[in-house]
Amino acid sequence: MNRPGPVPTVLTYLWLVIAAVVLLFPVLLTVVGGFLPSNALLHQPPQLFAGHWTLENYRAAWRQPVVPLAPAFMNSLFVGVSIMLAHLVTSCLAAYALVFLRSPLRRPVFWLFLATIMVPYESIVVPNALFIRSLGINDNRLSLILPFLASGFGVFMLRQAFRQFPAELREAAVIDGCGHLRFLLTILLPATRPALIGIAVWSFLQGWNMYFWPLIISSSNNSLNTLQTAVFALKDNEGGSPAVLLAGITITLLPTLLLVVFGQRWLVRGFTAGAVK
Amino acid sequence: MTAPTLTATGVPAGDVHRPPGGIRRTARPARAREAALGLLFTLPGLAGLGVFVIFPLFQAVYLSTRGNDILGNPTRSVGLRHFHELLTPAFGTVLWQTLVFTVLVVVPGVLLPLSLAAPMTQRLPGMRIFRTAFALPFAYSVSAASVVWLIMLNPGVSPVNWVLGLVGLPAPNWTTEPGWAMATVVGVTVWMVSGFNLLVLAAGLAGVDEEVLEAARIDGATGPRQFVSIVLPLISPSIFFAVVTTTLTALQALGQVQIMTDGGPNGHTRTLVYSIFDNAFHNNNSNFGLASAQGLVLLVVGVLIAVVQFGVLERRVHYR
Amino acid sequence: MRTTLRRVAVGLSLAALTATAAACGSATANDDAAGGGTEAPAASALDGKGEVSIDFWHAMSGKNGEALQQLTDQFNAKNKGRVKVNLQFKNTYDDTLSAYKAALNSGQAPDVVQVYDIGTRFMIDSKSTVPVQSFVDVDKTDTSDIQPNIAGYYSVDGKLYSMPFNTSMPLLYINKTAFTKAGLDPANPPKTLDEITEAARKLTVKDAGGRVTQYGFGAALYGWFLEQWTAAGNQEYCDQGNGRDGRGTTVKLATDDHVKLLTWWKKMVDEGLAPKLDSNTTTADNAFTAGTVAMTLESTGSVGGFLTSTQGKFEIATGNYPKINATDAGGPIIGGASLWVVGKGKDDAHKRAAWEFVKFLSDKDVQATWHTSTGYFPISKGALETEVDKQWVAQRPQFQTAITQLQNTPLSKATQGCLLGAMPQARKAAEQAMQAAVLSGTDPRTALQQQEQAMAGPIKEYNQSVAG
Repeated sequence: MNRPGPVPTVLTYLWLVIAAVVLLFPVLLTVVGGFLPSNALLHQPPQLFAGHWTLENYRAAWRQPVVPLAPAFMNSLFVGVSIMLAHLVTSCLAAYALVFLRSPLRRPVFWLFLATIMVPYESIVVPNALFIRSLGINDNRLSLILPFLASGFGVFMLRQAFRQFPAELREAAVIDGCGHLRFLLTILLPATRPALIGIAVWSFLQGWNMYFWPLIISSSNNSLNTLQTAVFALKDNEGGSPAVLLAGITITLLPTLLLVVFGQRWLVRGFTAGAVK
Repeated sequence: MTAPTLTATGVPAGDVHRPPGGIRRTARPARAREAALGLLFTLPGLAGLGVFVIFPLFQAVYLSTRGNDILGNPTRSVGLRHFHELLTPAFGTVLWQTLVFTVLVVVPGVLLPLSLAAPMTQRLPGMRIFRTAFALPFAYSVSAASVVWLIMLNPGVSPVNWVLGLVGLPAPNWTTEPGWAMATVVGVTVWMVSGFNLLVLAAGLAGVDEEVLEAARIDGATGPRQFVSIVLPLISPSIFFAVVTTTLTALQALGQVQIMTDGGPNGHTRTLVYSIFDNAFHNNNSNFGLASAQGLVLLVVGVLIAVVQFGVLERRVHYR
Repeated sequence: MRTTLRRVAVGLSLAALTATAAACGSATANDDAAGGGTEAPAASALDGKGEVSIDFWHAMSGKNGEALQQLTDQFNAKNKGRVKVNLQFKNTYDDTLSAYKAALNSGQAPDVVQVYDIGTRFMIDSKSTVPVQSFVDVDKTDTSDIQPNIAGYYSVDGKLYSMPFNTSMPLLYINKTAFTKAGLDPANPPKTLDEITEAARKLTVKDAGGRVTQYGFGAALYGWFLEQWTAAGNQEYCDQGNGRDGRGTTVKLATDDHVKLLTWWKKMVDEGLAPKLDSNTTTADNAFTAGTVAMTLESTGSVGGFLTSTQGKFEIATGNYPKINATDAGGPIIGGASLWVVGKGKDDAHKRAAWEFVKFLSDKDVQATWHTSTGYFPISKGALETEVDKQWVAQRPQFQTAITQLQNTPLSKATQGCLLGAMPQARKAAEQAMQAAVLSGTDPRTALQQQEQAMAGPIKEYNQSVAG
């Protein structure tokens, strides 16, 4: 855009700096607070830059036996990755069928997929919870992901992407004797990679950040805590020492912090795929 | 982090024009085979959604008419009693608070990042760093954000209260005064969504053509006026997208309420989703019938939003 | 059939995705496995069974969890080849109970489960456990060592249902240093609401700008405290003889004493003698250890934590739980949690093994260790007489208050505490009323009446659900 004069420039920076100070203080507190001796935080104002730094809180947060973070980390990873893979597989197949395979049911099936997008998850959380409980898999990680293996949104997005694929190329491939699966795997998917990555990031984060469902599941089996529910449980158990709490939170935030700092373009693409062009 | 979990869909518009790439004349057996294959391909997705989205809808209706035994299994019919319970002033308050919460989150949750993203379009040094910095709250899951903010506002240690004290303001009872509790929960949510919305809006702004702006300048439009009259319409899809996802995030918010105020004080931060959680899973309440009935209310709200969303997309939003 | 269909569908959709489907498709709920069986098997049930492995679900975290682990190791070492206990931490009491409910549905219940006091009615109604009394009767165990006030909570019609394990009662904690500074006698802490107000006026400190830097009093608006106040006034909290003569139908929230209490509390806040705190005890604890409030209410279990976190800052002392009226003649309820022997779906060997473990944990020496390493009140009278325990108490005079307080509390239906299936909700409802009156300025009687009425639904719901 246009280059503004010196006065607006100063004002711009002033506004951004003020906003940054206010908005980023919690981030600073999270990251720095975990390195401070616990009584430094109990002062007003918190002595963020006085005193010595320590790794003790991180050790304490990682080792405390109440809400073990390592298994929670693994659970979160499991949830994020399996939901991502499941979404990719189910969505690719369904979108392919909806775009390239003619069938009288194509239209109604598409609308069915679309309709599921409108259902807020919380409105069916009760029947799903009762159902999962009745399966008797309380101790199994599968109970964390079962309801989330397919996504109407994923199907919809990939359908959009597949439709962009030139019909002529597809015909050429078929004339060459290329079967559906081979066409899908060797030609279509590589050609629509950006959309796939978008869906992957979106699905992963959806699983990674889930809170309501793991809260229910882990409430009857704490070995199924994800990082998100672990943070809540940690708050109840380490409420007395904010430094340990902050250290624990920093550990849980690392993956997403890295993603925001280094993977921004994938984030934006993932969440806005197709919507904002 | 604000993962828009449901209708954060894109755009159905433009969807209709392009004919699907197909092959013209095919022999009948081949066609049957194709249909069968199509069914097979859609089956995993349909099965997953059928079992865990579509079927539960019917089961929710069934559950909403049931009482349960001591272990929470649905048993006897209670007719429409749970729906009668929805007609009470108490539930009206819950709905009202949900609306208030949503509106208070959406408006600043979109305007704040817009006010940050707009000046950042100027070609000035350091803007990249600012963008990354402002996006950082997006890295916070709802529980992490809630707990960090609880520490920020904890009367014993609050740095926020200390700052207020410096300028001579009394520290509010952040989570224990009815009005402030709502404001606190809203504030944390706005903080959380601002990171994501900033990325969305910045991406939208980055897509605005230089020439359009150039033309606008020749016309004499400058500064804020140029922004409102020319740039805003151009990024209306981004703004609309931000509004929709933020609305859904707010509507579905649970963690910030449950962790920060637990619906209190005295129910003043109870929202619809919190209420569902509370009736079904909190305190060993196990009132699955009532929770299901409230879930159906949420379903209606969700569908309404989707209808509005599609309606607006069809008509209003300006596309390039 | 409905669920069967769905289960099949899940199996199918999973099969399409992952090979692990079999793991879940094959699992079936066993609702009516092996019957309840409330009969207690004799010691011979363990003969010839090899090492019986039992699961124990508990909610003891941190230091308490470690202490429990040590005791369990001790038990396992002693019973090698006979019984082996596996500890499973289930997070909070709420979570433990909801896990237990879920487990009963899916037939994966543990052998011993720790349940908080207010879950007692539910546990009895679930008909899934073997009453401790049955074992006591079979073994002719001498139970006279168990503190009668503690056993009282878990007894109905003279029958002990579960073995109390970790118990605590509320105390008034005071900042001794602040007391001395204000010219008050820390050896003589306030005993009634009026005395608290009086002391709080002297304890409240403001800075030059008129901001309060130290409040005289501040406690969480915790429902448990209200129950304690009721018992201290020798009043029953719910009808049907505190739920002990029959199934309770109302919680008596809107009583004159409660109105008086909340009116007082609101006034304390209005006068600036107390801060506005919510129902979360952690917040109030922080305020006390940070020196922001000079008097607070907490359970005996907090003695250790308070001593550690105030070390070097100020000294603390304790007083009896205050009374609403000077004439109140009751005393606090001994709350906490107890151990239940699960019978549903269990064979005799497991039931017996579970009892052996529960019996072990109630032993006087074990209780002495438990008391001194956690600060929970020992359930055994003898534990207090052991050398290690005496030393511990001598070093912590703050705890002596609790012992005296217990000895001075008469055992009545009021001090046994209210048994109600919907007690977890009732506690929450009490908190709502407390918050309404103290934080949002609703008229105390109106607030209490509203919640009392609101509780009618859940109580009825519960009583109906017991019938199925």
